[in-house]
Amino acid sequence: MSRNQALAAWLLVLGAATRPVTAGTITLQATQSDAKPFVGAVVTLQGAAHPHVAPVNAILDQINLAFAPDLIVIPVGSTVEFPNSDSVSHQIYSFSPTKRFQLPLYHGQPYPPVHFDQAGIVTLGCNIHDQMVGYVFVTDAAYFGRTDAAGAWTVTNLPLGSYHLSLWHPLMREATASLERDVTVADDEPVTLKLQLAHPLRRPPLPATVRRDQY
Amino acid sequence: MKSLRTLLFLSLLCALAPGIGWCTDWELSADMRVVNSDGQPTLFDGGLGTLRFDRDDDGVQVGRLRAALNQPLGNVWDLKLDASYWGQDDAHPVGLTEAYLEYRPYPIDGWRARVRIGAFYPPVSLENTDSGWSSPYTLSSSALDSWIGEEIRTIGLETQLEWLGTRMGHDFDVGVTGGVFGWNQGAGVVLANNGFSLTDRQTALFGRVGQLGDEPLGGAEPFLQFDHREGVYGGLEVRYLDRVVLRVLHYDNRASPQLDEVSDQNYSQHTRFNSAGVRIEGDRGWTAIAQWLDGETTTAADDVPGGLSSWPFRAEYALLSKRFGRSTLSARYDRFVVDSIGADGYGAQSGHAWTAAYVFNTDAHWRFTLEWLQVVSSSFSREDFFGGPPLLTETQMQLAIRYALGSAIR
Repeated sequence: MSRNQALAAWLLVLGAATRPVTAGTITLQATQSDAKPFVGAVVTLQGAAHPHVAPVNAILDQINLAFAPDLIVIPVGSTVEFPNSDSVSHQIYSFSPTKRFQLPLYHGQPYPPVHFDQAGIVTLGCNIHDQMVGYVFVTDAAYFGRTDAAGAWTVTNLPLGSYHLSLWHPLMREATASLERDVTVADDEPVTLKLQLAHPLRRPPLPATVRRDQY
Repeated sequence: MKSLRTLLFLSLLCALAPGIGWCTDWELSADMRVVNSDGQPTLFDGGLGTLRFDRDDDGVQVGRLRAALNQPLGNVWDLKLDASYWGQDDAHPVGLTEAYLEYRPYPIDGWRARVRIGAFYPPVSLENTDSGWSSPYTLSSSALDSWIGEEIRTIGLETQLEWLGTRMGHDFDVGVTGGVFGWNQGAGVVLANNGFSLTDRQTALFGRVGQLGDEPLGGAEPFLQFDHREGVYGGLEVRYLDRVVLRVLHYDNRASPQLDEVSDQNYSQHTRFNSAGVRIEGDRGWTAIAQWLDGETTTAADDVPGGLSSWPFRAEYALLSKRFGRSTLSARYDRFVVDSIGADGYGAQSGHAWTAAYVFNTDAHWRFTLEWLQVVSSSFSREDFFGGPPLLTETQMQLAIRYALGSAIR
């Protein structure tokens, strides 16, 4: 090896060592069993590198005898306010093991926010209006979101490494484990995952304003 | 007047202090009708017609004036009162159709209990789901539910236990219901004397059906109790994703038929029935309902000491409805029959009916309904009492204009 060749080789090694850390991208494309986009599904992505996600203060309102929105995704440690914007009283409860709580009959916003300190799914109901159903998805994942109108969800600037992706929706029939995938981000090439439901979604509940069963 | 002041006070308090949850939810409504009918004198006028309005009622009539309130008593108790004036004679001009306390503790681990104490409807009807036990589909109830409104009420206690599967990722909710009641010893007297009719008028608690002294009914009072025997019922309800409701019930008032004293208006009818129904609601505003009821009412025979007369009865209907925005178009077919055993044919009746209705909700306050109803029926008693032909076709057209206001109106 000539002196010049040796120098070139050193420069090559040095260049590789000082190259910026590669940031990865994962895109999920979720479809229903009939190949239509799977809209509004909750996506969580957990990895070895676990950046801290700051808790938030969220609002889940009650409008026209329905939770608005009917599903929110929050990091562990967050709080949620449950104002009642209807003219009638509501009485919100959860018997989900993740967070059991009750808000006695109220209008407006008389109660302090509810603290969600454990990961899991919390199903909300109203003890007066049975048709009202809502969900709080509490996650300890570093990355999370919901699929868009095209059934897609994308996360960028991911550190290289291995991740575990999972998908959930209140109307899906699949066991959650069947919609989980391990994925590795090895370089800055975007990784695209495709998930398709094996079973049709359940039909959504009827709006509470459509039918008021007195019984 | 005092109760009105109390209600206004509570409403004002709610307006000033929106966080208070035990505010009174109240509702007032006025339902006026323009009626055209070729019907025979009705059940309420001592006749054997099968409609609510007869040929003498053409013109403007009161459909229903109603006041209702729901008063929370603490967090898990409610007091519910529903009062109506129907423009047709009853024991009192204004009467309560339902009045009860409801206990509704929070669900625990997917199980929920409900207890009702007072006077209310047992879980039979799948069409009368609107406020005041009215139908969102038609003005007139089916023959089956009209009879429930005329004669059946739980005046006692009911418990319901429900497994809320849909709150836990399952497709079904399942509930069982049991009731113990009194003051329904006279239930069945209208059926045995007049048979089925199609009407939305509900008998007020401790009220009367028809005019005192009129034949054949004589102003019957279904809500009586003098035999000290409580009635019971038990039922099951299964809901599939809130789209399909299946409901069955067995009812038995366990009355002592031998205590019947017609001359004193102390009717004692041993009435028992099974009912079943299914309601299916689709995504595009379609609703289909079918209900079936089969039972028998028995009382002391008039002319045979120690003997009994019985009237086995059956009614069923199918309703199909389509919602288009603020409009609802519905059609219903009813069939009914009352047999007569040990009464020389007295009270026997059979018939069928077609109902078509168009409902337009202008907003939360105004509702307009146009309904056409035709009943074809045969009644033994028509010939027996009035010498008329037993077979009759009656047609009734109604235009209803309803205005409602209150805290529960939205």
